[in-house]
Amino acid sequence: MTMQNSVRPLPATEPAPLRIAVAGNPNSGKSTLINSLAGTRLHVGNWPGVTVEKREASFERRDERIALVDLPGTYSLSPYSQEEVVARDYLVEERPDVIIDVVDATNLERNLYLTVQLLELEIPVVVALNIHDEAERMGYRIDVTAMERALGVRIIPTVATKGTGLEALLDAATAAAGDPSRHRPRRLHYGDDIEAAAEALMAEVLRGHPDLAGKYPGRWLAFKLLEGDRRVIDEAGLQGIDPLVARAAEHLISAHGEDVESLMADARYARATGLTREVLTKPDVRKIELTEKIDRIALNRFLGIPLFLAAMWLVFKLTFDVSAPFADWLGNVTAGPFTRWTRVLVGLVHGPDWLISLVTDGVIAGVGSVLVFVPVIFAMMFFITFLEGSGYMARAAFVMDRAMHSMGLHGKSFIPMLLGFGCNVPAIYATRTLENPRDKALTALLIPLMSCGARLPVYVLFVGAFFSSRSGTVLWSLYVLGIVLAVLMGILFKRTLFRGESPMFIMELPPYRMPSGKSLAIHTWEKGKHFLYKAGTYILAVSVLVWFLLNLPWGVEQKKDSYMGTVGQAIAPVFKPLGFGTWEAASSLVAGVIAKEIVVGTMGEIYVPGKVETPSGPPPSLSEDLREIGTSFAEAGKNAFTNVFSTAGIASLSEKGESEPEREGLRGVMAKTYTPLSAYAFMTFVLLYMPCIVAAAAFKHEFGTWKWFGVAFAYQTVLAWSVAFFIYQGGTLLGLGG
Amino acid sequence: MNLAMLTPGQSGRISHIGAIGPLKRRLMDMGVLVGEEVKVEKVAPLGDPIEITVKSYNLSLRKREAEGILLEEPQ
Repeated sequence: MTMQNSVRPLPATEPAPLRIAVAGNPNSGKSTLINSLAGTRLHVGNWPGVTVEKREASFERRDERIALVDLPGTYSLSPYSQEEVVARDYLVEERPDVIIDVVDATNLERNLYLTVQLLELEIPVVVALNIHDEAERMGYRIDVTAMERALGVRIIPTVATKGTGLEALLDAATAAAGDPSRHRPRRLHYGDDIEAAAEALMAEVLRGHPDLAGKYPGRWLAFKLLEGDRRVIDEAGLQGIDPLVARAAEHLISAHGEDVESLMADARYARATGLTREVLTKPDVRKIELTEKIDRIALNRFLGIPLFLAAMWLVFKLTFDVSAPFADWLGNVTAGPFTRWTRVLVGLVHGPDWLISLVTDGVIAGVGSVLVFVPVIFAMMFFITFLEGSGYMARAAFVMDRAMHSMGLHGKSFIPMLLGFGCNVPAIYATRTLENPRDKALTALLIPLMSCGARLPVYVLFVGAFFSSRSGTVLWSLYVLGIVLAVLMGILFKRTLFRGESPMFIMELPPYRMPSGKSLAIHTWEKGKHFLYKAGTYILAVSVLVWFLLNLPWGVEQKKDSYMGTVGQAIAPVFKPLGFGTWEAASSLVAGVIAKEIVVGTMGEIYVPGKVETPSGPPPSLSEDLREIGTSFAEAGKNAFTNVFSTAGIASLSEKGESEPEREGLRGVMAKTYTPLSAYAFMTFVLLYMPCIVAAAAFKHEFGTWKWFGVAFAYQTVLAWSVAFFIYQGGTLLGLGG
Repeated sequence: MNLAMLTPGQSGRISHIGAIGPLKRRLMDMGVLVGEEVKVEKVAPLGDPIEITVKSYNLSLRKREAEGILLEEPQ
């Protein structure tokens, strides 16, 4: 290994890339700026160990290689949130060549508070004075030259949504990185007391640990020690330094009567405030801004909630109704022509029957079940990005927080939970709008209790067979049961797994802004792509596994003798006290792990065997199939469009075409095997038992660990069994069993 | 007198921040500092949280969090 390393020539022609870190407040337009700078070259992943998104890009510009890293949006570099720790660790440990600090020109003072902290790191900084157009429209005048002089850094006015100033920004960043000694930021004086205490502490620390001199900027280290930052103390290996720090801080505390952390925040804000006064001129008469006008209605005491619910209804409708026709189209193309022609191709190379079945029923069906989710993921991500980028997400949280907080959740939890009624998978992805890991995990855990669209076919089958006179009430009761259990489980989790102080709410209500089309496109595309690559792998694997379970051992004739049937028989007794202890029911539930609507399909195969589709007439030719794919896609587009304007309810949730004649046969068999009571118990079990594998993949993908899926799996299994048991046994006692 | 006691339209000057640890640091990072002028803009439709303006931007926080922010007694 060593040999190899020493032999390899240094790439003399390719110098190390210029490393640019982009920092800034949330809502400063940082994300849009990155999108404009890097566009499709962005690579999205997670920061190691946390679920905070990491976006980076490398590209060449004027013969220079640039590696751009987007730091999480933060208000400060304190050690209290994941985002702040990630941003700080990167800056301190990796020491990029230059920091681009994105500053919202319409909110200068609070943004400069972060700038002041970035300057402490003694890394060259270039400020992007962003949203400059809006500031001008508001009549703000910012003296850029005076600001550059005061901070000792270059300041470039930018409008990220329009791409204005970005070339100049990159030029300035390259220049600053190329000559760091000339671009060293100015040291902002924090008052004699603080500076003296820091200097004294720094001298003492360096005497004991001279090695730290090269590792950290000395003044910054002293500030962090004075603030009592445990993370820095541990990382620098300075355990046991506390008495030294206490002595240095003693004078500060006694002279000012405040803890050092507050003194530091005061001192930093004093610099930000002073600088803002120096460089910013606001008009005497303040115009009433658009945001204020909108909020008078959107957050109104009486209109706030109805308007919010109306907006949510629209988002829900658009997400699921626009995507549904395309999902159906993708499903039909994979199940129809694609499967047909694959079968022909495998037949051409004389592939055996089992191979044809594996490829079509296992692999292609698995791919199909991934594909049908793609349109809904795209649609959901588009609307979530729009809600966040426009500023309405914060209002939604503001309006709903009281209700959600009572079950231990955050105001922002409402939207993912609501999306759960359409499909749990995009809902779990939507939890990324929650910053706090605790809020996020709890929300995701409760989402599977929202009865998704895939459970509806199961209800429709049973309700049609047993409760046709009261179908509406029975359906409604299942949805309500899910919601009630979510509230109860939320309260239970709050007191057990998530005990302790609930995370704080403190949240900016940013001005309403139109998100740029490019940002919407990039965020939507990233999420859809990730879903295909990452979640798709797991789903495909499980689909193939289920195929094997259904078709092994070799040459199995009866479903009952397959491994799946054996599994069904083995676990059937578990369901006996619930009223459906048959191997048929058990096998359907196991197969339903892929997607809950599969419960119906499997029941069809098991209860009504020999139902093979008999194609009438010769199969369509390839050109006919291709034409059909084209016309059905156009049809899907038309349906998506008309769905938007058909205001009567949510089209994708209504029963459509499920009561074909073949279902009638199944209903007949069901009526003999189930009683209304056991049918209801079965439906509650389907409502509550584990999330489908696609949801499982979403859990893994969103949290980076199987832990939360494990918790969901465990509690839902227990809950499903207990509730179904309670319903069946309670009902029997009440004499409803007949 | 604390921030949670103000009604929409009323304002006051912060005299003390009673919170400790992360909550206090977060408040201060958001510009909620002693001596700062804050104004309550709105109360959410369900009575909590509240919206305030501080450092000429809008911030929302729960009443429980606002209770720890003490205000100077009006003269």
